[in-house]
This record gives sequence, structure tokens and C-alpha cells, in this order.
Amino acid sequence: MTKPSLSKEAQAELTRWPTRAKRLLGELLDDAATALQQELLQRAVAAGHTPNEVHAFADQLRGMADDEAFAACTLDQDAPRDYTVTQLLRAEADPLFAFELKGGTLEPDDDEAPLTAAKPKADVSTLRRITASFVADSTDALPAVLSASQAVLAPVGAPSSGLSALLYEATRAHGLSWHEAEVDDEAGMTLEAAVEAAGELLEEGLPVPLGLGNTAGSTGRLVIALQVMRSGRSRAWQLFDPFSNELVWANEADLLARKELPFSNKFYRRITRIALPARRRTA
Amino acid sequence: MAPSRSQPSSPFLSRELNGEVLLDELDELRGANVPQRQLDACAQALRSLRGSVRESAAVVRQLAGERFADDAALASLLRRWATRLKHDADGPLLAAHFERLALVGGVMTAVRRAAQQLPRSGR
Repeated sequence: MTKPSLSKEAQAELTRWPTRAKRLLGELLDDAATALQQELLQRAVAAGHTPNEVHAFADQLRGMADDEAFAACTLDQDAPRDYTVTQLLRAEADPLFAFELKGGTLEPDDDEAPLTAAKPKADVSTLRRITASFVADSTDALPAVLSASQAVLAPVGAPSSGLSALLYEATRAHGLSWHEAEVDDEAGMTLEAAVEAAGELLEEGLPVPLGLGNTAGSTGRLVIALQVMRSGRSRAWQLFDPFSNELVWANEADLLARKELPFSNKFYRRITRIALPARRRTA
Repeated sequence: MAPSRSQPSSPFLSRELNGEVLLDELDELRGANVPQRQLDACAQALRSLRGSVRESAAVVRQLAGERFADDAALASLLRRWATRLKHDADGPLLAAHFERLALVGGVMTAVRRAAQQLPRSGR
């Protein structure tokens, strides 16, 4: 299929894209099964979506016939009262926005991270080819899991961001709520308190998302603490970075030192944010 | 000397059970497009594993062959685990493992999406 000529708006957006992302967009347009899919992709680019979002959008479109794609990316004409005027206007120009508004979910792909971040060095830590994301479409309310004794944490200082809401939605079936806090920030909690709280939750089997940054108050990367292991008086944390696909073990003392983390990207050297899970209720 | 039947068998003693092993399993399920809701449902179904190892293995095989048979990757994973159940203590540990599997799958989705809103340091 002939590659479409990009609109001025799309071309303007592409000037901000990294070279690799531009090349990938070309491949996505080549791979698009129909002219409609190509058009939807270039409109998503013109609307200012990130390379990762456009890539994930292309993945979703790929399996659709034209009528399915059109329906998935167009607000229903017979139910306009469900949408605000702003949503209707934006959806006209932005098919990806309409897709998500209608309940479509983008699942980041394996190639997501490398579009915006350098590949880690293989000798620093274990590199993984992993994409463990699933559609957060659980609706069943499940009883509490893993342990019967659950102390519900009080919400902590910093206002919740979108992460808490996304976590709540993604783990709704497990009856969890999430309390997000800046770490070592005036309105948040100390790193020591965060590590203590997270350590207890990890020992109960609950994963804990962490924000990493160079200084307090600046989060540039999100990772997941998967588990902790005790060895004598010390404790080791297993951390997974879903963007560089690195799985590492870190001594708790190193986490508390705020100087360096065992990921290949040394810029993100300390924990700056934390999202703590808590039971909504015990069944 | 044979291990005590009250002790977990070796796959459940690995420190990577809920680390690298779990991530490999998520990768496999993701590659097969297993929906999160199926993983959640599977974790819920496995919570009943509290009986003898024979009963636990039968429950896991039944889930693989019936309720989750349409999700081949999930059914395959269940069958593999069914063969690893050796002692009575293994059933609850398998249930806990699948609970973590489902939780980490959901958290991974949320984290990936939230990361798109982070400022880009360019480093």
C-alpha cells in the first residue's frame, strides 16, 4: 500500500520525534492494512500523541477491519449526550482519544521503552524481554488475598496523581486501593518510612510501584518492587524496570543511601515516589 | 532423605519464583493475549487450594481443562504447575504465586500507562 503523505500538522509533530520513532512510524504506516488505518495513525500523530501511544494504537488497529476501526475510533452518533462538547470536538480530530474514550485500551509494546530511552548495557544487570501488561478489564470484586491481617494505610500527604487511579483500576479485582506519596518531599513521607511500609507490604506479597529520580520531587522513571528477601539483618529488594526490562536486586541500605541504584541508567539514583497498596475491605 | 511432606517442593523455594519466573510467565501470557480478567479469575479460582496435594493437582488440572481451556497459554501454565505439586504445602503457595502473577500484571499495565505522563529527562 502506498504510504500516505502526512498532513502539515503531523509533520510538525514529527519534528519532535526521535529518528528511531520516525522510522518506526514509517514501518507502521507501511504495515497498516488499509488507507483508513493509515489515516487514523497519521491523525493520532497530528494530535500530538507520543510515539509509544501511536505504536500501541497501531497494534490495536492492526487486527481490525475498516468498519471495526471506524466504529472504535468514532463517537456514537446516537448517544451524543454521553459526551461533553469538548470531548466530541477533540474526538473528531483525534481518533486515539476517541478510541480510549470508547473504552479502548492501549497496551504498550516491547519496543515502547527504546523509543525514548537508551538501551541499557547488558553487563550491568539482567536484561529481560518482557511485556507484562494486560488489559485492566476486571470487574469481579474479589475477596482479600494473600493474608488475612491487613492494616489499612492512611492516605499520605501528597495529592494522588493519575498513577493511583490507574493502579486502582488495574487491580480492582483484588480489592486494593492505592495511596501515592512523594518521598523526601515536605508534603510526603521520608524515604525511611516509605521503605519500611513498602517492605512490609512486599513481605505480604503485594507489589509496590516506585518512582525514581535524580533528586527529591523529580520522578522520571517508574519501576516495580516485586519482592524482598531477608538475609540475616539485611534485606534485599527485587526491582523491575518495565521500560528498560531490567530485573535487579538492591540492598535496602543502598536504597536508603539515596546515591545510586543498580539499574544501568545511573541518572535515576533514588526513590522519589511510592504507591502503597491497601485493602479496601476484608471479605 | 526425602523431604517432609509439610515442606514445599523445590520450585516453591526458589527465590526467583515471584521474580524472574513470574516475569517469564507474564511474558508468555502477554504474548498469547491472555486478558487480565482471565488471570484475575484464575487467581481467584486457585484460592481454594487448601487440601491434599492430590486434590490440589486435580483442581488445577480441571481448571486447565475446563474453565480456562480457551486460553491455551494459561491452561498450559496451569498444567505445568500441576505437575510440580508434590506436597500438601504446595497448593497454597501456588495460589499465592498466581495471586502475585495477576497483581503484577495489573500493576505493570498501570505503571506503563502512568509513565507516559512523566516528564522526559532525555537521559
